[in-house]
Amino acid sequence: MIQHHPGEELLLTLAAGHLDSGPAVLVDAHVERCASCRAQWRQLQAIGGALIDDAEPALLETHALARTLERIDARDGTSNANGSIQRTITTPRPPLPNGAIWPRSLHGSTISRWRWMGPGMRWSRIELPHEPNASLHLLRIAPGRSLPIHSHDGIEFTQVLCGSFDDGRAVFGPGDFDAADGNVHHQPIVRDSGECVCLAYVSAPLKFDSKLAAVIGRWIGM
Amino acid sequence: MSRYNRRAEVNAGHARAQGVTRYYAVTYRPGGATMPTNEEFQQWMDAVACHGDKQAFAALFKYFAPRIKGFLMRSGSDAALAEELAQETMVAVWRKAASFNAEHAGVSTWIFTIARNLRISHFRRLPASNSLDEPGMWSADEQAADAPDAPDERMFIEQREHSVRQALAALPSAQAQILRLSFFDGQAHPKIAQELGIPLGTVKSRIRLAVNQLRRALDEFNPKS
Repeated sequence: MIQHHPGEELLLTLAAGHLDSGPAVLVDAHVERCASCRAQWRQLQAIGGALIDDAEPALLETHALARTLERIDARDGTSNANGSIQRTITTPRPPLPNGAIWPRSLHGSTISRWRWMGPGMRWSRIELPHEPNASLHLLRIAPGRSLPIHSHDGIEFTQVLCGSFDDGRAVFGPGDFDAADGNVHHQPIVRDSGECVCLAYVSAPLKFDSKLAAVIGRWIGM
Repeated sequence: MSRYNRRAEVNAGHARAQGVTRYYAVTYRPGGATMPTNEEFQQWMDAVACHGDKQAFAALFKYFAPRIKGFLMRSGSDAALAEELAQETMVAVWRKAASFNAEHAGVSTWIFTIARNLRISHFRRLPASNSLDEPGMWSADEQAADAPDAPDERMFIEQREHSVRQALAALPSAQAQILRLSFFDGQAHPKIAQELGIPLGTVKSRIRLAVNQLRRALDEFNPKS
């Protein structure tokens, strides 16, 4: 049961198409998995439909329809016109624990192998093809292990793929989404039920309390 | 299965059985000034999807292309880009007509999502022909097998689209305005705060309020049975 959801303004910004690609990957991954957010997201998209209907019609260029039909004819020869989508995963991906599913919003991104960052803790860097500098990571943490205590200069979004953690504020389980900012000072501890894999986005480097953690954070790019 | 889907299937089956191209009456409203009904949009979509009907496509084009262009210009695109994206959106409507799912969105909403994705692709500098098939973007609409919609979310779509319009109209104007601006303004919330001369925090809380009001209003229009 999903307990923690992205806020209304995030869903609205995603629906409107104005969310930056890094955070969009996480919010999209949540919406993909959460029926109630998906329903709300569709409602918000319907505002877009209403705005199209209400839009002031703009004068098109002459022969706009003819030109569009030409484009259709030019492309019909080269691709299938039935709208089906070719799905190929081109880059290899690191293995996930049983039960974890890759969010479809990661399609097309490059995902590194698992790298060690401490006992029971591994990380992987995700590169979006169009925005390689967005700070997106996967964290894979063993039961009972914890991330170093930290706060935030910007925002940190987390989407849980499997397992669960408790950061003192709440317990976050599979499918849950968390947004943390400068007001949150926390230490996520993975619960004993199993390995926890999270998708994480940070808009600015985390502020770790410990110097060693800060060095590791810089190395990872979080 | 929605009424629309069932009808499309019946029509397609009927046409196949008869070995003919098209068997149902599609009205094209040449020069018609009033807004086509959702039923008409749906017929045009079916005709494009099942029969590659260019006349039905022209009817969709006539209504939507100028509005997409107008919407994009209102969102800050210049006329040339808005024209280009409007035409590309209509190319996508043709190519993806068969994947249109009336259970998920009304035609206007579906077309909005295509235009929105093409605009994003443009700013990500992806070639338009690739981006149409880029599943990584906005994949949420293709729901995961392990996350089916709750039964009570399968509200009849036409009713939902209609209700959203009613609910928008019923919102206090400050809230409706902030929802509209969220769609139009690229730099989203900081820019809106500037435009309205209110603090960013107020923008966010007003959005939260507006979305919740919208949801409450939708619940009122569509009491769950």
